[in-house]
Amino acid sequence: MQILKEHAKPYRRDIFFSILAVMVMAGASLWQPRLLQQVMKAIIADNQHQVLTNGIALITLAVIGLIAGVINTIFAAKVSQGIAADLRANQYRKIQSFSYGNIEKFSAGNLVVRMTNDVNQIQQLVMMFLQTLTRIPILFVGAFILALITLPRLWWIVILMVILIVLSSQVVFKQMGKYFAQIQKLIDQTNTLAKESLQGVRVVKSFNQEENETARFTANSDELARVNTTIGYLFSTMIPMFMLISYVAIGASVWFVGHGVVAHPDDLAAITSFISYLMQIFFAIMIGGMMSTFASRGFVSLGRIKAVFETTPDVTYASDAPEVDLSGDVTFNQVSFTYPGDTQPALADISFQIKAGEMIGIVGATGSGKTTLAQLIPRLYDPTTGDVLVGGVNLKKINEQSLRQAVAFVLQRAILFSGKISDNLRQGKSDATPADFQRAADIAQAAEFVNRYEDGFDHLVEERSANFSGGQKQRLSIARGVVGTPKILILDDSTSALDARSEKRVQEALDQELAGTTKIVIAEKISSVLHADRIFVLDEGRLVGVGPHHELLATSPIYREIYETQKAKGGDN
Amino acid sequence: MQDFKRAMHYFYRYLKRYWLGLGFVVIVTILSTYFQVKAPVYMGQAITELSRYLGEYMNPATHATASKTPFYHALEAMMVCFGLSAATMFISSFISSRISAQTSGQMRVGLFGKLQRMTIKYFDTHQDGKILSLFTSDLDNIFNAMNQAIFQLLSQLALFIGVIWMMFGQNVKLAWVTMASTPLAILIAWFVIVQARKNINKQQEATGEMNGYINEQINGEKIIITQGLQQASIAGFAPYNEKVKQATFKGQVYSGMLFPLMQGLSLLNLAIVIFFGSWLVVHDGMDKATGLGLIVVFVNYSQEYYQPITQITSIYNMLQLAITGAKRLSDVHDQPEEVNPANGHQLTTLQTGVQLEQVHFGYQPDKEILHGVDIKVKKGEMVALVGPTGSGKTTIMNLLNRFYDVTAGAVKFDGVDVRDFDLQSLRDHVGIVLQDSVLFTGTVADNIKFGRPEASDEDMIAAAQQANIHDFIVSLPEGYATKVNDESSVFSTGQKQLLSIARTILTNPAFLILDEATSNVDTVTEARIQAAMDNVIAGRTSFVIAHRLKTILGADKIVVLKDGQVIEEGSHEALVAEKGFYAELYHNQMVFE
Repeated sequence: MQILKEHAKPYRRDIFFSILAVMVMAGASLWQPRLLQQVMKAIIADNQHQVLTNGIALITLAVIGLIAGVINTIFAAKVSQGIAADLRANQYRKIQSFSYGNIEKFSAGNLVVRMTNDVNQIQQLVMMFLQTLTRIPILFVGAFILALITLPRLWWIVILMVILIVLSSQVVFKQMGKYFAQIQKLIDQTNTLAKESLQGVRVVKSFNQEENETARFTANSDELARVNTTIGYLFSTMIPMFMLISYVAIGASVWFVGHGVVAHPDDLAAITSFISYLMQIFFAIMIGGMMSTFASRGFVSLGRIKAVFETTPDVTYASDAPEVDLSGDVTFNQVSFTYPGDTQPALADISFQIKAGEMIGIVGATGSGKTTLAQLIPRLYDPTTGDVLVGGVNLKKINEQSLRQAVAFVLQRAILFSGKISDNLRQGKSDATPADFQRAADIAQAAEFVNRYEDGFDHLVEERSANFSGGQKQRLSIARGVVGTPKILILDDSTSALDARSEKRVQEALDQELAGTTKIVIAEKISSVLHADRIFVLDEGRLVGVGPHHELLATSPIYREIYETQKAKGGDN
Repeated sequence: MQDFKRAMHYFYRYLKRYWLGLGFVVIVTILSTYFQVKAPVYMGQAITELSRYLGEYMNPATHATASKTPFYHALEAMMVCFGLSAATMFISSFISSRISAQTSGQMRVGLFGKLQRMTIKYFDTHQDGKILSLFTSDLDNIFNAMNQAIFQLLSQLALFIGVIWMMFGQNVKLAWVTMASTPLAILIAWFVIVQARKNINKQQEATGEMNGYINEQINGEKIIITQGLQQASIAGFAPYNEKVKQATFKGQVYSGMLFPLMQGLSLLNLAIVIFFGSWLVVHDGMDKATGLGLIVVFVNYSQEYYQPITQITSIYNMLQLAITGAKRLSDVHDQPEEVNPANGHQLTTLQTGVQLEQVHFGYQPDKEILHGVDIKVKKGEMVALVGPTGSGKTTIMNLLNRFYDVTAGAVKFDGVDVRDFDLQSLRDHVGIVLQDSVLFTGTVADNIKFGRPEASDEDMIAAAQQANIHDFIVSLPEGYATKVNDESSVFSTGQKQLLSIARTILTNPAFLILDEATSNVDTVTEARIQAAMDNVIAGRTSFVIAHRLKTILGADKIVVLKDGQVIEEGSHEALVAEKGFYAELYHNQMVFE
């Protein structure tokens, strides 16, 4: 709510006009029965002039109401769009201040939903609030008061009708709430079954399980249909019941007016407008009830957005840290790391020193912590305990700009952004020249296909980089990593889709062109790190071996096990 | 129009069995409408009688004979109409809600059943998300429309006609006045709807672009953070956001305007009716009492008359969605199903082996993938298929158990074309372990017994042991009763594949196809999978699509596939000696000193 209030502030003027228009609109529909009553009175009194003036007043009132309705819509749309756009912009800014850990915690997909669907829900909520939720209470209260003024004798009919409708809707909604929870669960289950049978369609078919799957699905779907029917029955009862209540109220009013008509002859002119007010009250309750169920959905979205706004980034940089030229040294001092929510540490008590210009290979089984270790160097996460130093500076006290300049991280799953190739390379060095592009592409072995494009580095990257093969994506992503000549280059299994020959060329080019750069290479294939100065062997988050290939073969049984699985069959070399 | 026809056809298919109930609903709805439009007549009559009574009562000459009886009669008749209207509405709504819940259930099951019978081609050429939206969005839209729109349309239409009919019965002049604004209202509504639709298309386009940007940026956040691109990303977002704001504003104004506009027009119409009504009474020399009653009647009618016009727009939107959904579902129903030959051969055991003869195949008619492939797997042999990505390895697997059919040539089991076998018996004897393992919601036991739900626990455990996964399963707190689903992280990728190997072992297939997992499996886990595979392969005829050469070393024969053709074939030693493509592949992957 607080968030909504803050974001509504800039639109105070528009909100004011929107509410003003709503009041005029509601007032017009409230006043109409009054004028009708005047007309009836005039007819009874045979006052032609009165009939005419009241008739013209009626029409004028309706036109005013109509115009007010349109004005209200325009302002309401302006406010809801404005709030939605501001919410999106601010939320996006907030997300961009997040650490990678923050983002993982929400999950990227989830954040996208909060940026899109949830903001949409709120926009609709605001629109509905300004259009309907402000009108309904005015109509309800106004019609209530005017009904009492019109036929004060029959005050108890109005109150009785309201109480009866509210009470019976309470009963029905309570019943329905129970079933709605069931429905949601059943719908989720049904969709899960459908999704699984799609993803596993080859398994289902090759095991001849089509009938069993259909039976499983049918049982679930039948249950869903059963609960849907029950809810349908409840609705079928509810609406006619409400209608009946209002009908009885109308009948009773006419009867009592007829009963006392001799004592109160004016009631004859009032009965029609009294009934109109009864109906307005009736519809106000109905629409109000319906809208509040819609509104509750908007509030769920609001809560989800609030969670984003209230998250504090867990990696922050000291603004007073001086910008320095960092060297390529990397030091881990007793570093342990546990992912949020996990109990087992992903890295346990790791210490090492890497000198500038060294090439380090990291090997180990899946889940041994290779990527986790690498991610601590560009500070995607902070270690749970211990310190990571880059260029001799503790990451917790480092200047962000300096760190970004020093470290380049090339991911295993290459990510390119839609736009031009040059746009992507420029992410590694904002003022890169065409010569820089060419050099980077040469190193990454990307030049051979980029130069084949007529538009070269201006060639477009489509959405999801669908126009590049896995190997091409990896090569472009390496080019982005090397274009800024970083002090430290981390390659996280980033040549996995390259054939052995290209991989070798990349390595040779890196050795030549980036001789002074510290290179940290994570690899599945031992052949990729064979010539590293040192190889780190990780096992279940521990550093269990450090040394060059030959030494490790002799000293590290885990390294040897990995090696054995990849070794060529003896003798045929 | 074509869409509409297809949609109607779809509805017809599912609704025809309810013709009796639907007919009843129509009749009851008409009755309900009749009572609804008849009630105001009696209300008007009551007012007329009351005012007449008052007039007579006040007049000393008729004071004694003044009677309220006609008033009470009219009131009684009105209440009867009201009561019957509510009762009939209840009945029709009761029946129709039952029909719509049942029908949409049948549509859901019908869709699922259809999907089970369709060819793999459909699933390979349509995104899962798109197919899933048939369940989540299209069926939902149809259900909503049936619940709220279709029967609404019926009753609103009946109301519209009923009101017009009654109005002309009451007073022709006032009836014309009430209806005079209709063309204008419809014109305005139509204009607003068209504008709204046009702008909503623009809005969807802009929103799509913005969502694309958000999606790409947030999913690429690792790059954004490590390259320090946050500010650039925020700056890049602004124009997308602004564009959406601009586009949505117009769309929202138009779509939001519809209701107040119609509401306002209805009020205006009411005002005009009252104005003319009273003018008629005063100038047309109508009896005052009758005139009062008439105005009461027309105040009611003019409100009820506009109700369908206001409602029809929201009904129209719902129907539009339902028709689009029904059309899509209808398209799915027309998709080809798997062909099972009548009186097909029963595959019992494998006698001689499996053979691909001059197989030509392409997923699209103009793009052939396999160009005359010959492969022979003798009974009891293990044949390894190797080759670069895109060479057609997985395609061959697709042909072996008839996920696809060859365009030319033949796949034969014991010399009989696979297309001549009964599909179920073929698949019963061909076991498959896929590259990407799938888990289904249920217990671990359910998943292993997937292909043979009736298998005993002893058999299941034996299968798990052979697949090297038993020890891990019993180490879980709930063992075989552990609940899993495809997203759960109980099993790693490698373990999932071990589980699917166990699943296949349990069905004891005569012929086995193994597609090795490549991603996210390190070489040590791979060695464990290898051992499990060796267990399954032992004593069986098998076909392995190998990505890592370790697997291949145990093969009786290696077939090298490249660009849809067999380029080399033979034992490991022979192929290495040949120093051809295989030898190079082998050198690329292995560590040499």
